[in-house]
Amino acid sequence: MPIPIVQIRDLTKIYIRDVIGTEFGQLKIRLKNRKVAALQSLTLDVEEGQIFGLLGPNGAGKTTAIKILMGLIFPTSGSATLMGKPLGDKSVKSKIGFLPENPYFYDYLKGYEFLSYYGQLYGMSAGERKKKIPELLERVGLSHAADLPLKGYSKGMLQRIGLAQALLNDPRIVFLDEPQSGLDPFGRKEVRDLILSLKEKGATVFFSSHILSDAEMICDRVAILNKGRLINVGALEDILSTRIKTYEIEAADMADELVRDMEAKSNLTLRRKQSVLFSMENQDQAIGMVKKIIDSGGNLVSFIPRRETLEEYFFRKIESKTSDHRTEIDRSSKSSSLNKQEDVNG
Amino acid sequence: MGKTIAIAMNTFKEAVRNRILYILLIFALIIMASSGILGELTISARDRIIKDLGIASINFFGVLIAIFVGIGLVYNELDKKTIYTIVTKPIHRRQFLIGKYLGLLLTIYVNMLIMTFFFLAVIHYQNYMDDETMLKALWKPNAAGQYLQPGFFDYAWYYISSVFMSAFKSLATFTLLYNPEITRNILKIVFYGCLELGIITGFAILYSSFSTPTLSAIFTVLTFVIGRLNADIIIFADRMKEKGLLTMGAKIRYNLSWIAAHVTPNLWLFDKRNAVAEDAPLLSIDPYALIYFLFYTGAVLYMAVMIFRRRNFK
Repeated sequence: MPIPIVQIRDLTKIYIRDVIGTEFGQLKIRLKNRKVAALQSLTLDVEEGQIFGLLGPNGAGKTTAIKILMGLIFPTSGSATLMGKPLGDKSVKSKIGFLPENPYFYDYLKGYEFLSYYGQLYGMSAGERKKKIPELLERVGLSHAADLPLKGYSKGMLQRIGLAQALLNDPRIVFLDEPQSGLDPFGRKEVRDLILSLKEKGATVFFSSHILSDAEMICDRVAILNKGRLINVGALEDILSTRIKTYEIEAADMADELVRDMEAKSNLTLRRKQSVLFSMENQDQAIGMVKKIIDSGGNLVSFIPRRETLEEYFFRKIESKTSDHRTEIDRSSKSSSLNKQEDVNG
Repeated sequence: MGKTIAIAMNTFKEAVRNRILYILLIFALIIMASSGILGELTISARDRIIKDLGIASINFFGVLIAIFVGIGLVYNELDKKTIYTIVTKPIHRRQFLIGKYLGLLLTIYVNMLIMTFFFLAVIHYQNYMDDETMLKALWKPNAAGQYLQPGFFDYAWYYISSVFMSAFKSLATFTLLYNPEITRNILKIVFYGCLELGIITGFAILYSSFSTPTLSAIFTVLTFVIGRLNADIIIFADRMKEKGLLTMGAKIRYNLSWIAAHVTPNLWLFDKRNAVAEDAPLLSIDPYALIYFLFYTGAVLYMAVMIFRRRNFK
């Protein structure tokens, strides 16, 4: 069995936040502090050639996980390897690309100069840079802005030049932290297409996102994080049940009696200007309703069986975890109050 | 090495866009230009005033550039998070830090070069102004043998040509082929100043590798001041010891002085201004100063690298 390109074992990162104290860079005066677990015992593998999505709400620990993998921060405990080698290995670094969240680059450099500088850091010769940079600028749609200083770039353009710098070395694996953050629908589509083209070329893409619809479209596997903990990891088809969750029926020109009847049986009814949309869970009931519409002379606009989306799964999981947590708190508070009562009585 | 140089060149590009650099440079040039006027105020030793003021300006503004431009360079990379995409490239963190140091040093040295060029030109210009033969030559006799007052254009030509000739002589001094009495030893004194600044820049990088720009500036200034007073502090400590450390206060003062003098660099070693004042023969390169510079800079940068390699970039 091949070694996973990314292997994470029990990765934990705990930050110490000052409650009372002050910091001067790395010089810290702490009178009182508390520990905040940004990541707790994260364990996962990513196989080569996959598009892997690290998903979760803000503060879930996605960026922390990526920063540890990139060697920007050090884990409190646990370990990880990239391409079977420990983090920070220079030979591994030459085979990875990285785009941080909301990237900021040297705004005094022009697009071409910027990529040339980064090419030098990859150890590319002048000839290689001369060949590679125009190709990349073309690929990310910035050929026209090669001679413009980065301070004149829009957010979307910065994201694209950021992607270009991450692809300078034809990486085996690309880490993208919220690559679609702040982009318009066109920009998001471009990023999606770029990720898919990377996969076609055999590269692995590891990206974090909270735009679940996009992740669902392109990911082979996803990991869902919440409050630093892994909720689930696996292939999308394994995570999302193939079972049909609801049936959506849209119909027009229906008799009022039939609409009332269907409304009573459906989970959700939406009255539109010229049609009515019903949603129901039972398959037999849905098929029966479709027959009734046709038999009564109504006009069936659409009949769509719908399975659970990643977004719905995500909300269900996060909410259930939150309610579990609340129940635990309730239980512990109840038991502690009972104990107190016992103490008082006894 | 290529990657470190790439970082150094990018640092240089970044630093030369800093407005503070130009403000400091202009101030330095104004002070040097006005050194002639200040020299006129003295009864004697005008040349010494000009030279002392010029060399002091070069050193002082060099230190200011190291502090005000230098300490922000590492911090900005962390603050703006540009470092994220740099240290994730196939480079070591030490290459980043040393690249930053070399880039900053290059910025300072280029400025030192400009200031020195200007300073030498001021000395040569002053020398032209002192030499009255050229001025007298402007008075030309007519047919009757009377000397005529020179016109506006004669004076204009005289002053403009003096400026150009001074600049040319200044440039020639840099080639080391032209070494007149009036600018003797200046280049070597500036060279020692460059070594001193190399150490101060190392400290600026060390402090900015773990603290904020304000604290880094304070620490760097303190290091410079204590470093310059190093020899005096040692004398002070020795005298205290000679008198006897009878009280606890005296013991504390002695120990603090001893630590301050031995932990900070002895920057006095790089101050060769007396050689100018005394018109001493051409200074030879002091190997001890050179070794001291290499050792101290190496040690300071090593400490900076050790701190930086374990730093979390949040």
